[in-house]
This record gives sequence, C-alpha cells and structure tokens, in this order.
Amino acid sequence: MNWDTWLPLLIVLSSLLVALVIFVLPEDRSKTRTTLNLGGAALKIVLVGIMVWGVFNGHHYETRLPLLPGLDLVLRADALSMLFVALSAGLWMLTTVYAVGYLEDSPHRSRFFGFFSLCVTATVGVALAGNLITFLLFYELLTLATYPLIVHRGTEAARKAGRTYLIYTLAGGALLLLATIWLYTLTGTLEFTARGFLSTLDSSHHPVLVIIFVLLITGLGVKAAIFPLHGWLPQAMVAPAPVSALLHAVAVVKAGAFGIIRVVYDVFGIEFSASLGVTLPLAIVAAVTIIYASMRALFQDDLKRRLAFSTVSQVSYIILGIAIVGPMATIGGMVHLVHQGVMKITLFFCAGNLAETLGIHKISEMNGVGRRMPWTMAAFTIGAFGMIGAPPLAGFISKWYLGLGALEAGQDWVIFVLAGSSLLNAGYFLPILYVSWFKEPAGSWPAERCFGRYETALALLAPPVITAILALTLGLLASAPFSPLEWARFITTLEYAP
Amino acid sequence: MIEMHWVVIVILLPLTGAVVCFLWPRQTVVSGLITAVGLFASVLGLTWQVLEQGALRYAVGGWGAPLGIDLYVDGLSLLMLIVTAVVGLAISVYSSAYFRLDRAKHFWPLWLFLWAALNALFLSADIFNIYVTLELMGLAAVALVALSGGANALTAAMRYLLVSLLGSLFYLMGVALLYHSYGSVDIAILSQRVESSPAVWVAIGLMVAGLLLKTALFPLHFWLPPAHSSAPAPVSALLSALVVKASFYILLRLWLEVFPLTNTVPGQFALGQFGLAQILGLLGAAAVLWGGIQALRQTRLKLLVAYSTVLQIGYLFLAFPLASIIGWKAALYLLLAHAVAKTAMFMAAGNILFYGGHDRIADLDRVAQRLPLTLSAFGLAGISLMGLPPSGGFIAKWLLLEAAIRSGQWWWGLMLIVGGLLTGAYVFKVIGYAFTRSDLPHEPGFVPKRMEWVALVMALLAIVLGLFAPLPLALLEIGSPFGESLR
Amino acid sequence: MNDVLLLDFLMTLLLLFVPGLPLLLAFPALHSRLPWFRYLALLPAVIAVAIPEAHSVELPWLLFGSELGIENSSRLLLAMSVFLWFWVMVLLPAARDRSEGRPEDKYSTVFFLLAMTGNFGAILAMDLVAFFVFSTLLGYSFYGLLVSGRKNKARRAGRVYLVLLILADLLLFEVLLITVLTTENLEFAAVHQSMAQSDSLTLYLALVVFAFAARAGIWPLHFWLPLAYRSTRPAVALLLGIPVVIGLLGIVRWLPLGEISSPELGLIIFGSGLVAMLFAIFAGLKMAQLKMLPAYAAILVTGLFFTAVGAGLADPVIWSHYGRFAYVFIASLGSGLAVLVFAISWLQVRRDYPARSAGYADDSNQWVERWSGLVVVWAGNTGFDTLPRWRVWWLAKMRHLWLLIRIWQRQMGVYERSLQRWGLAITLFLLLAITITFVMASAGLSSSI
Repeated sequence: MNWDTWLPLLIVLSSLLVALVIFVLPEDRSKTRTTLNLGGAALKIVLVGIMVWGVFNGHHYETRLPLLPGLDLVLRADALSMLFVALSAGLWMLTTVYAVGYLEDSPHRSRFFGFFSLCVTATVGVALAGNLITFLLFYELLTLATYPLIVHRGTEAARKAGRTYLIYTLAGGALLLLATIWLYTLTGTLEFTARGFLSTLDSSHHPVLVIIFVLLITGLGVKAAIFPLHGWLPQAMVAPAPVSALLHAVAVVKAGAFGIIRVVYDVFGIEFSASLGVTLPLAIVAAVTIIYASMRALFQDDLKRRLAFSTVSQVSYIILGIAIVGPMATIGGMVHLVHQGVMKITLFFCAGNLAETLGIHKISEMNGVGRRMPWTMAAFTIGAFGMIGAPPLAGFISKWYLGLGALEAGQDWVIFVLAGSSLLNAGYFLPILYVSWFKEPAGSWPAERCFGRYETALALLAPPVITAILALTLGLLASAPFSPLEWARFITTLEYAP
Repeated sequence: MIEMHWVVIVILLPLTGAVVCFLWPRQTVVSGLITAVGLFASVLGLTWQVLEQGALRYAVGGWGAPLGIDLYVDGLSLLMLIVTAVVGLAISVYSSAYFRLDRAKHFWPLWLFLWAALNALFLSADIFNIYVTLELMGLAAVALVALSGGANALTAAMRYLLVSLLGSLFYLMGVALLYHSYGSVDIAILSQRVESSPAVWVAIGLMVAGLLLKTALFPLHFWLPPAHSSAPAPVSALLSALVVKASFYILLRLWLEVFPLTNTVPGQFALGQFGLAQILGLLGAAAVLWGGIQALRQTRLKLLVAYSTVLQIGYLFLAFPLASIIGWKAALYLLLAHAVAKTAMFMAAGNILFYGGHDRIADLDRVAQRLPLTLSAFGLAGISLMGLPPSGGFIAKWLLLEAAIRSGQWWWGLMLIVGGLLTGAYVFKVIGYAFTRSDLPHEPGFVPKRMEWVALVMALLAIVLGLFAPLPLALLEIGSPFGESLR
Repeated sequence: MNDVLLLDFLMTLLLLFVPGLPLLLAFPALHSRLPWFRYLALLPAVIAVAIPEAHSVELPWLLFGSELGIENSSRLLLAMSVFLWFWVMVLLPAARDRSEGRPEDKYSTVFFLLAMTGNFGAILAMDLVAFFVFSTLLGYSFYGLLVSGRKNKARRAGRVYLVLLILADLLLFEVLLITVLTTENLEFAAVHQSMAQSDSLTLYLALVVFAFAARAGIWPLHFWLPLAYRSTRPAVALLLGIPVVIGLLGIVRWLPLGEISSPELGLIIFGSGLVAMLFAIFAGLKMAQLKMLPAYAAILVTGLFFTAVGAGLADPVIWSHYGRFAYVFIASLGSGLAVLVFAISWLQVRRDYPARSAGYADDSNQWVERWSGLVVVWAGNTGFDTLPRWRVWWLAKMRHLWLLIRIWQRQMGVYERSLQRWGLAITLFLLLAITITFVMASAGLSSSI
C-alpha cells in the first residue's frame, strides 16, 4: 500500500538525486558519472515498467505533498501520464548513452550531465503532475534546466540562442501562471480530471474561460512551438546534438504539447472545449504551423535547422489531433506524441553523428555520406520515411488516425493539410536521402575523425540504430498489447466514455 | 520545569554578545559566532513556546502596559524574528571568514548590536519603543556601511545617516502627535482609541512618509543603491534582507492595528485608508518598473543586486491595495523569501568580488567559471526572486496573484508578472556569463569554502521555502494579526 | 488431427517467409555471409507456388491487423513474379561485371531484395493496408534500383517516378481513410461489399484508379516508364514490369468490380484506355528508340487493360463473366514485357541496332520535373522567400526599437541621478508626507460631514 503512494515520487527522485550527486562530482570522475547516469536511467525504466503494469491493472499511484493551504503537490500515474513517462524514461536511457559518447573528453561534463538529469526529472514531473500547479512547477523547472544545456558550448551564438529561449519561455511561463491562478480563483481546484472539471461552472463564466484557454494555450504553445511562437526552436539548435535530440523529441517541445493535451482533456474536457468553440481555432493554428514550418524547412541548408523546422511542423500534428474533436483524432494525436519522439530523436542522433564524425553540418556537404556511414544513414532513412508517413513506419500510424479522426469529425480540410504536409515532408527529406545515398562523395569530409572498428564510436552508433528499429517496430506492431497505439486507445476510452 | 523567558533572552543575548565582542577584540569572531548560534537556538525556543501557548504579551519587570515596557509576540513578529535569526546566522558564518581581524573587531559588536535592535523592534508593543529601536538600528547600520572605508562608502554612509535620521524624525513627530492626542503609545490601546481627527491625519502622513523613506520605496530609494553596494558583502546582505524590512514591518503593524479607526463609521475612514493603499500600490508598481529597468542597465554586479532590492520592495507594497489576508500573507512570505534569497545573492556577489577583485558584469566570464558554487547560489537565488517554481518567491507570487485576481484588481497582478520578467532579464544577464568561455586568464584570489557554501545553503533555502510553505503560513496565523483587515 | 495442425502451422510459416525471408536477407550483415542468397530468398515463394493449396494467415499484431493468403489467382501472379526474379538473377552476373565491388552494387542488392519483398507481399496481401504497405515498399525500393544506376537519365527517371509514387501514396492514403470510415474490416472481399453501398463510391473509384494508374505508368501518367526503360541497366529493365503488374493488381483487388455499375466513370476509363493505345501506337512505336519499345508496349497493353476495366465498371455483367481472366492477363503482361526486354537487349548485343530519334522522349517529359521544381520556385517567389525579407525588416525595426530603448535607458540614468540629489529627494519626501495627510484628511472630512 505504501509502495503505491511513493512510487511516483521515486520515479522523479531517481533522476533528481543523480543530478544532485553529479553536480558535486569532480570533473575527472567520468567512470563514476557514467555509472550513476546509466544506473539512474535503468532504475527509472524498471520503476516505470512496474508502474505501467500497475496502471494497466487498475492500480492507483499517487504521491501528495502539501504545497499551499488547499493546494497540493500531486504526482499521479494515470494512463495519459504513463504514455509520456515511458517515452521519456526510455529515450533518456538512449540519450544518456549517446551523450556519454558525444561529449567524451569535452569540458564541463559534470555541469552538463547534472542539468541533463535535471531536465529529465522535470520532464517526468511534467508527465506525472496530477494538477495544474504541479505541472507548472515542473514546467518552469524544465525551462531552467534546459537553459544551461542550450548555452553549453559557450559561444556567442549559444548565448544568443539561450537568451532567445529564455525570453520566449519565461514570457510563456508567466502567461501560464496568470491563467492558472485565474482558474484557481474561479474553481478552487486544479486537479486534472478526466473529461475536465470546468463544465459545471456557471455559463456566465464562459467568456472568461475562453480567455483563460487562450492564455493557457499561448503559454504552453511557446514550448510546443506553435506558429508565431516557434522562433526559439530553430535557434536552439546550436546546442550539442544530444541536447537537441532531447529538446526536440522528449523534453521541452513535448512538455508543451503534453500540457496542451492536459489542458484540453483534463482541465477543460474535450467536449466542453468544443462547446466553448475554442477547438476549431486551435486546429487552424496547428494546421498553419504544420504547413508553414514545412515550407520553411524546405529552404534550410543547415541539417539541424531543417530538422528543427520539421519538429515545429510535426509537433503540431499532436495539437491538431487534439483539436479535432473525436476519439480517432485523439488517438492520432497521442500516439504521435510517442512516435514523433522516437523518429525525431533518431534523426537528431544521426545529424549529431555526421557532425561529430565527419564535421558535416550542411546538407550540401552530405554527398555520398551513405557510403561512409551506412548504419547512420540507414537509421536516418527510416526516421525520414517515418516523418513522411510512409507505411509501415510509426509516422504512418499517427497520420492514419489523424486523417481518420478528421473524416470522422467531418473536418475534411484536415486531409488536405495532412496530404500537403506529407508532400512537403517528402520534399525536404527525400533530397537529403538522395544526395547521401546516390551522389558521389566529394573527396574529403570537412573534419573527419577515425573511430576504429565501426563507422563511428559505438556509443554514438547504437542509439540511433535502436531508435530507428523502434520506429519501425512501433509501426509494424502497432496493434500489439502495450504498444503506444493500444495505450492511446486505452486513454481514449477513458476520455470519451459515454 | 522553569519557564524560560525567551522573549527577553532574544534581546539580551545579542546585547551581551556585543559587549563581550567589544571588550575582548581578540576573541571577537568566536564569541560572535557563539552568540549567533545561541540566538538562533533561543529564537527556536521562542517559536516552540509560542506554538505551545499562542501569542504572548510580556511585561518587562512586571509593570503593565501604560507605564512599563511591553513585549508582544504574535505570528507576524515571530516570523520576523525567525527571518532575522536565519539570515543572521548565515551572515555570521559568512562574516567569520570574510573579515580580517582589524575589520572584524569593529564588525561584530556593531552587528550584534544591530541584531539586538532588530529583535527588540519586532517584539515592541508600543510605538515609542519602536522609535527607539529603529533609531538604534539605523545608527548601527550606518556604522556598518562605513566599515569598508574609502570615499564612496563614506559618502554613502553619510547620506544613509541623514536619511535614517530624517525618517526617524518624521516617525517620532507622528508618535508625538498620537501621544499628545490619546495619551498612550501602546499599540493595543491606540488601536481602540484612535479616531479620525486632523492630528491623526498629520500623524499618519508623517509616520508613513518617514517609514517609506527608510524602506526605500520609489521615489525615495535614492540612498539605497549606493549604500548597499558600497558596504562590505555581509553588510549589504543584512541591510537588504533585514534592515529595510524592519521599517516595512512597522508600517504593516501600524496599518493593521492603528490606522483602521474602529470607532468611526465603518467604511468611511476605510475610504481614507483605501486611497492611501492605492497610492502605496502605485508607488510599489512604479518601484517594480523603475527598479527592474535600473537593475538592467547596471554594469556592476552589486549595484544590480541593490536595484533588485528596490524592485522587490515594490512587490511588498502591492499587497496594500489588495488588503486581504492572502495578500498580507503573500507579502510576508515574499519578505521571507526575498530576505533569504537576497542574502544569498549579495554573498555570491561578495564572493565574486573577493575572487576577481572587481564586479564588472561584462568581465564576469573570467571569474564565473571558477566559482561554480557561487554561481549556482546566484542562480538559485535568482530563481526565487523571479518567482519561478519551486521557490519561496513562487509561493509568494502565487498568493499575491491569487489575492489580486480574487479582489478583482488584476492589474496589480500584472505588475507582478512584469516584475518577474524584468528580474528574469537581469538575473540571466549575469548567469549567461557563467557559460561563456573567456580567453583571458584571470589572476585568481582565494575564496574560503565556507563563504561559498553559506551562499549556496541560503540559496537552497530560498528554493526549499517553495516546498514547505504551509508551515510558515500557519505560523503567521498565530494571534491572527490580520484578522481585522478582512474587507 | 495433429497432422492437420502441423500442416497448418507449416503453411503459415511458409506464407510468412515468402515476403519475410527476402526482407531478412536484405540486411547486408545477413546476406554478405551467405552464398546464393538471392536464390535462397526466392525459395519460399517457389515452394508456395508449388504447393497447390489455398491458405491464409491472420496477423492481428501487424499494423492494424493484417491478413496474408494465397489462392489460385495469386498463385499465378506469384509464379510469374518468381519467374521474373529468377531470370533477373540468372542474368545479373552478366550485368554485374562492370559494377563489381562498387558500393552502388551493394545498395542495389539491398533494394533488389526489398523490392522482392514488396512484390511478394503485395501479391499475398488480403487486405488494403497490407497491400498498401508492401506496394509502397516496392515503390521506394524500386526507386532505389532505378537510381543506383548512377546515370543522369536514370536519375531523371527515378525523380519522375518518385513524384508520381508519392502522389499515388497520398491518394491511396485518402482512399484508406474513406474506406475505414465505411467499414471496420479492411479485407478485400469485405471492402468490395461495403464500398458498393457506400455514398463515397465514386470518389473511391476515381482515387483508386488514378493512384494505381500513376503507379503502373498508365497513360496519361506514363512519364516515368519510357525514361526508365531507356536509362536503366538491362537487368533492372527486366524488372520494370513488376510495378506495372502490381499497379494493375491493385486496381483489380481494390475496385469492387463486378458488383457495381458506374457507367460514367467506366466510360471515361474506357476512353482513356483507347486513347492510351492510340498514343502508344502513334507516338511510341513511331518515334522511340528500340530500347524504349517495351515501355510503349506496356502503355499499349495497360491501355487495353483499362478499356476492359472501364467496360467492367460500366457493366458488371461483363466483368463477372470475364473478370477471372484479369489475373491471367496481368501475369502474361509481366512475363511478356520481360521477354520483350530480354529479346531487345539480346538484339542489341548481337548487332548494334541503330537507336533513333533519341531526343523526343526526353523533351516531352521535361515539364513533369519542372513542375515539382516550379512549386519550390513559386513558393520562393510568392512568400517563403520574402518571409526572411520580412524578418530582416522586422529585425531592423526591432533594432531601431532597441536603440530607442537604449536612449530611453540613458534618460532613465539621468532621472535616477537627479533623484539622488538631496533637494529633489527631500522635496519628494515632503510632498509624499503632505499627500498622505491630505488623502487621509479628505476621507476623514467627508466622513465628518
């Protein structure tokens, strides 16, 4: 019994404590640090595994600590949070392995890994948050923990990117805070409840609720990089590759998207949101983001920048899935939360490998790189096809349910958005694949390093290959038990129960 | 079991300590530290006593209210005492490493004396005693500012002295007017007798203005940045964290107990208070903006931190127009969080100055990377000042915003958010340098580990305050100091 | 009893291995160690052709739940495919001598096996999604096969093929969505039944026909076919029949032919088939190189096929009478094309057959490629290029604003210094005291009146 009340806290602590220990660890103790990192990650995966199993079998895990009179710090495991927790726990492990390989012999590793762990702590906290204030708490912690990672390189560009990031996110956080408190004064509770807790409110409050909704979405949309608020994301790609991977796939962007899911489903309730008339504008904003960012991606020559715009576009799939009211679209949105993470992390790992091994940063330098690094580029290919939505990869499943949901809800225009986006995705991913596989290499690479037996260091090679396989498996075995798709269906039955 | 008179001990112990430090300058550090620890323990004892017995009124020497000196402890004053004890202990530990002996022998007696004055101020139950302790505190503070020597410090100290005297003088005139009209200086008695009359109007005008001057609310903050930035680091810390708060405490006390004139028509005199509250709120808002912008333009670290104090004081005054229990609690929690965080911040600034010999922000990158603990302290304290979760500042901001929205005056809440963003801007202006690489090597000084750790512990405390808010908030309820201010 | 179960199990295994083994062997790590791995990959398919028994296997865990199966019609197609692949393998060594040991050869092996997987899988697929998945796999890996020839022309062919492929995929995706909304069960038979009654039947038909026409290179979406025939290596050219065959198979499988009557659409398809045949005869046979002959033959035959489909759509009776020949037709088309290619390349090797009017086919197809490039250029001109310009403008504005802020800041500094003058400070202080007094007084007076 006791176990049930402490498990969520343990999951959060499993990386928090690691972070704290790493901060005080001397710089040269890299063995200890790696052991700690991996140990923490493994422990977290085990705990999350236990929890997933428990939630599936109807267990109730909840940690409740008093924060303010009448307001508690609540960490709770529900079906939705498990989706995100499992994603972040799993990908953290891989990213840690990758980061250890990537940052070998570079300075300030203690600082880096400390904040790295802190970042995951915040992400897991965001996932497990049982009410809006807990969510806010970890959400802001995430902002703060990510900043040092973005400026890690210490160059002028990095500092500038960090500044932009902060301007955006702190302002967003402020709006979120305002909206949260406003909501609290209206209702006196902030607990996430399936199908929302606002529908009982008097209808005279509805205009205010619309304003609050807009404030919340704007605040969260900064991190989720919705169209006019996405400016920080392409700049933040100056960060080291593992950070970009984490930023784009697991932590920051996803926290924003996850927050929007929470707000729409568990604060307002999807049906109530629809009756307020706020979902259609949200869907339109998401659609505009999808198309606009894809268009921008077409014109980028810098690989990571192109991927960054692709993230902006892809994350809005999630939001689109939420904003189309209907169970199918919900499944699509939620499952894309996981799928996009797996695919995008693959792409960023690969981009990092290219930069680290051959010094390639631009697409125009990628001619024939597939011959030099076949494994990396194979993983990249799978990730890219997944993003396009080619069957049977993970992206196909998400797109499938999104399209289905749109038709089901009678919003046929979404189909065109999806089709257009797929086309554009093909337009900016396929040329990369083409030049890297089929063009002649240009003689020498910008800055080649040799890593012995494999095409690059094993710690750099294994993570993208694993995530690529995962992206394939998630699509192929979409209907297997405990797959993200099945889990998203499970959540949807809770949200739309009659 | 013998009943301990913690109330008296809390005042007498630092006085004794000051005398001991003064008489035996060679052992000054040791005796000072022992006193600080003892004092901390006695405040804990007092807390325990108050928790057991509720609000206490203690007549010194057994004489009653109108004639003798009364000491009074309720949740409000207890919180102030605790803040002072915590910050005081940290400052004591920090100073034990900061000063060399020639300075230390001046510092310790003055500091303990100041501590005694503070404690007495928080415990006083009448407005005249408050005047006396305020004056004592002011004199000790001026002497401490002058401690670092140098022309700048002396000018700043001189200015500070004049301000301090002027403020006290105005306060004293108000006290005299009230005494003349009602024949008592006891707060409890005054709160029953005071009614609307020209003498009271003038008295309130004089007292409030005097206290605002000492609290350094915009536009009367002109003395604060030079004084706080030119003083030695521990002194800056205690000035920002405690001394400024003392006059705020007095204002709050008077506001809650003396100014609402109970025997007039309800609502009528409240109107006057309402107008005054709006003025205070406006000045607070202006202080937030002004302090934030000025902090942003500073090129020296200690000045930046000093202007940040101006901003934070503005926050405190935003609670006046809200006038709800949540608002007051928020203000006091803010006071607590700010005291702790600002101490950490000044200590961090002191460390940087100690190490690099300068505090030019643009050249910080040479220093910052060598002092990770200090920079972490600065960053964590900054988080609390910004009001980001989880931190004491966040809780305060949350409560204040809640009060603002509940009272329908959301624009004050907006100022809070603007202030938070401004704070974020200037904090990260500094933090950013921790991550840039500097090509120029720097001639390093030596920073004692103790100084780094104290700063970090205080900063962590500011964070932890965000997780254990119910405790201090419950403490504030004792004796229900805000009970009457319900509107 | 046990025997039946065992047999069942073995058949299931076999069915899984038909597409599964080539897929596995496509991993370089696996096939680089094995001799004769190409033949090995073919083996399960050969066995499946040889065992004359209908069997199907449900795979509920795969995607949304899929089904693979084999019966007589698909056995015929499988046999044809096996035949084609086998011949290509036999001929490969001859084609390989020039590119031996080069990396693109390694790639084309991978693409070769992947395309084989796609081909077999699509033939065995019993539901829409599985067919879609395998045919897409076939499409993309076929692109790889085309392009790894490394000739410029091959690249152009590949590019055109790829654009059509993506468009077709998008359309089929929409088709799938429409279908799922109508029926839960995506097996071909069930889909036929429910689509026949659906409201969106016409849309469904049009999309399916259009998409598979693009994939199979049916006129007027034939651009890639002549280009491909002209530019690829002979071995690959032998395989060019396969996407055509799978495209036609898709039409037969996906359309509820024989169950519905849609005269208008049928007429249109019938007409386009006729025009295609005419086009193939006039444009193709007269002007093209000999090497491109099979392409025009393919266009001719697929045009013929289209007339049949059109007729079948218009009158279900026709289809139910003659529909069963469709598979035979498709199978013979595939093998026929291969024979043609083989014969021509043999002819070319024997005596250097003169190539005629090389330019024509090139130019006629240019616009397709330009079109995709045009989109980019157009988008660049109309906004997405100006967006950065706007940004620059905006940044300049911001910089200006920043300058203002700087000036303002300096002003603030002046104010701050003046605040620090005693005279002003004291004045403000006294003013404040007086104001407060007056505020209190005004309220107090109003109360006493």
